[in-house]
Amino acid sequence: MTDRPSPERSDAPLKPADPLRKPAARAVRAGLPLIWLVPIAALVVTLGVGWNAIASRGTLISVAFKDATGITPGETALKFREITVGKVESVRFTEDLQQVLVNMRVDKDLAPYIDRDAQFWIVRPQVSAQGISRLDTVLTGAFVEGFWDDKPDEPQSRFQGLDRPPLTSFGQEGTWIVLSTERSRGMTEGAPVMFRGLPVGQMQNLRLSEDDESVLADVFIAAPHDGRLTTSTVFWDTSGFSVSLGAQGLSLNVNSLASVLQGGAEFATLTSGGAPVEDGHVFTLQPDEATARTNLFSDEAQALRLTMRIGESVKGLETGANVQFMGLTVGRVTDLAARVATDAEGREHVEQEVTLAITPARLGLPGDTTSEQALDFLSGQVRSGLRARVASAGFFGTSLQVELVELADAAPAELDRAGQPYPVIPSVPGEISDFSETAQGFLTRVGNLPIEEALKSVTDMMNSVTAIASSEDTRAIPGALRGTLEDAQAAAGEIRQVTTELRESGAVGQLRRMVDEAAAAAEAVKLAAADVPAMVDQIDAAAVKIEAVDYAAIGTEAEGILRDVRALLGTEDAEQLPRNLSETLKSASGLLNDLRDGNAAGSLNNALASASTAAQDVSDAAKRLPQLSARLEALAARADAVIAAYGDRSSFNTETINLMREMRRAANAFGSLARTIERNPQAFILGR
Amino acid sequence: MSVPSAEAPVLTAHRAGLVGCRSCGRVWPEAETTCNRCGSTLVPPDRRCLNAVWAWLAAGFVFYIPANLFPMLKTSTFGGLRGNSEATILGGVVELMHYGNYGVAAIVFLASIVVPIGKFIAISWLALVAGRPATVQAAHKRLRLYEVVEFIGRWSMIDVFIVAILSALVQLGFVASIHPGPAAVSFALSVAFTMLSAQSFDPRLIWRGLPLRSRKDHE
Repeated sequence: MTDRPSPERSDAPLKPADPLRKPAARAVRAGLPLIWLVPIAALVVTLGVGWNAIASRGTLISVAFKDATGITPGETALKFREITVGKVESVRFTEDLQQVLVNMRVDKDLAPYIDRDAQFWIVRPQVSAQGISRLDTVLTGAFVEGFWDDKPDEPQSRFQGLDRPPLTSFGQEGTWIVLSTERSRGMTEGAPVMFRGLPVGQMQNLRLSEDDESVLADVFIAAPHDGRLTTSTVFWDTSGFSVSLGAQGLSLNVNSLASVLQGGAEFATLTSGGAPVEDGHVFTLQPDEATARTNLFSDEAQALRLTMRIGESVKGLETGANVQFMGLTVGRVTDLAARVATDAEGREHVEQEVTLAITPARLGLPGDTTSEQALDFLSGQVRSGLRARVASAGFFGTSLQVELVELADAAPAELDRAGQPYPVIPSVPGEISDFSETAQGFLTRVGNLPIEEALKSVTDMMNSVTAIASSEDTRAIPGALRGTLEDAQAAAGEIRQVTTELRESGAVGQLRRMVDEAAAAAEAVKLAAADVPAMVDQIDAAAVKIEAVDYAAIGTEAEGILRDVRALLGTEDAEQLPRNLSETLKSASGLLNDLRDGNAAGSLNNALASASTAAQDVSDAAKRLPQLSARLEALAARADAVIAAYGDRSSFNTETINLMREMRRAANAFGSLARTIERNPQAFILGR
Repeated sequence: MSVPSAEAPVLTAHRAGLVGCRSCGRVWPEAETTCNRCGSTLVPPDRRCLNAVWAWLAAGFVFYIPANLFPMLKTSTFGGLRGNSEATILGGVVELMHYGNYGVAAIVFLASIVVPIGKFIAISWLALVAGRPATVQAAHKRLRLYEVVEFIGRWSMIDVFIVAILSALVQLGFVASIHPGPAAVSFALSVAFTMLSAQSFDPRLIWRGLPLRSRKDHE
């Protein structure tokens, strides 16, 4: 309005030109769209750029880690196959402050692949027994690495990060199996799994089994080698070194240094006929190669588990002990536990609960037998008398094992299939010849010996011996014995002398001949007397003849012969000889009778055969008798002292008890030594 | 009455029936369409040019937003292993302050934030008040403001120059390299559009709002 001049001043020189007004307004109206295209274009471009930026920002994912060591928001990269595909935007805590949420912006083209099976971990330099890895991250800082497969799935935005990098590299072909063992000995994260000494896999993710009491580890066997796995493959622990002392001598087995440091396992397929394994197949890790080769338990996870309840001590029974059936190892003890049970009368008592893992195939059942079928079989066996019991095993009998035995006279029982946690197999008291118990039994027997009675009888005996030894009669024995023996000796000497003389003179033979001749002569005389008449006749005739013959000469000769005979018979020797002989024979027969009456006929006959030797011995013995009696006296004195000591009950008892205790302790120590030696023979070598 | 004096209203070319050349400043009668001295087209001052001012200003402002949101510099150290850092203008200022370079931070802050925003405000205000009634003193202030805006506008390009020089110099291959970010282009465009905006503002419009009589002020 100010522009518009008032009419009365229209002629003033300062009056603006009117016509310029309207074109200006029109121009304003006309120029509006043209110039405003510029900011519109600018807006469009900016919006486009902004939209492009937002659209290509990628997807936000958040990964939960235990900690965020080395992660810097805005700098730390997310890498996939070593290519940066994202970046950490922010780091914050989870609601419960237990974990760190790392929010990452991932490139848009890769986001669809990050699905349920994606894995994330933080890459840091690592120093392990197998070497140093990812040293580059010292320079560049840690980064988050992810791996996912090439199959797009439903995308996910929240992930749980791994605590440590997975051992298998990206997308490696192979088979995942599970190793199960009693203890984690020889198992560490990343420990190598070898085949004939070559590492072909690694173990990871050590954990306790949720089903039973074993330790599990995931093992990845890389691609060409996993074909060597079958269901009959066995794994064993190769960690450390082993020393074994056997019939072949001392054997020291040391594996690679890495194995010594971080453990490891080796596998071999020892028997044919196994089926190819699937992912997740469970193998049992055997403690050593020898066990693995002897114990072909292919699959303990599918083993039939039974419980046996024992009311007695199972000292020496350990997990891993064998379960034997008809001498074959069909399973092993996997757990020992005690529990309070109530018996039929309502009394509470503690009983041992032993868990057995039995491989049905080892019982002779087909390989594909299910647990139910195996239980059916066992039920039948139990009905016909199959029982479980604890039995001794091992060198000293110190370790125990479980036996499944058929007892025909067993009390009827059933397999309790409803038992918890596993079916209960009825058991009978075991046959345990425990070494320590044996030693104890021995000591008990020693303790039960009638020592007091024995000592009493010994005392009595000693007393009587003393009495005998000290009596006058006994003392006289040696003298009388000596006299008797001297007489006997003298008699024997005489007999010998006579015999010798007789033998020397040959008198006996001549005498006998002479007697015979005399008898013949007498007979002849008698015959002649019978023929006297004839003879008289003949004599007459002869006398006639004799009258004719020189009677004087014949008479002289006959007289001479008769004189000689009379002289011979008239000698004293001849007179005495028959008497002597008869006496000798008489005494010999008496002696024989005596000896026969004494109950040592046999031996003494022999003794008599060497009567002189015997006599000599008897004489020697008789000489020693005084010493014997002296010794007996000393013994009696000592026995007296013993008895006196025994009289002092307290000290003797203490000594005895101490002795017993020492012996028991020694026995125990021996038992434990035996057990120790059996358990780890290397203690022998190492000395502990 | 009609004799101009200190008390008298300022005689503008427009009121004198003349039109001034925007290039060389010579005034010509309103009937003339070209400046006979410098040859440029003579445009009478009118509010139509304010549309252009607003339009350029809007375009400049539109580009100023991404210039601040997008990274200005992309720095990659050790081939990207050590990390790629992207710095926006404000982030760069904060980082400079973090390292203690307060002077440099102040310069960057002034040149990249204070000056452009001041320019937006100044031009907007000038365009708003153009042609509105004003005293002589106010008109002089506006003119001075306009001159300052026009003078200082080119210095806003200092950021763009820094980015250009850095990305030309720091190309050390693997160790470190700097690339201009999308904000550099946006910022350059923003500065350019605000300069155009300032140029399309016709300072003669400042004087259009002057009172016709000085007496009016006194009455």
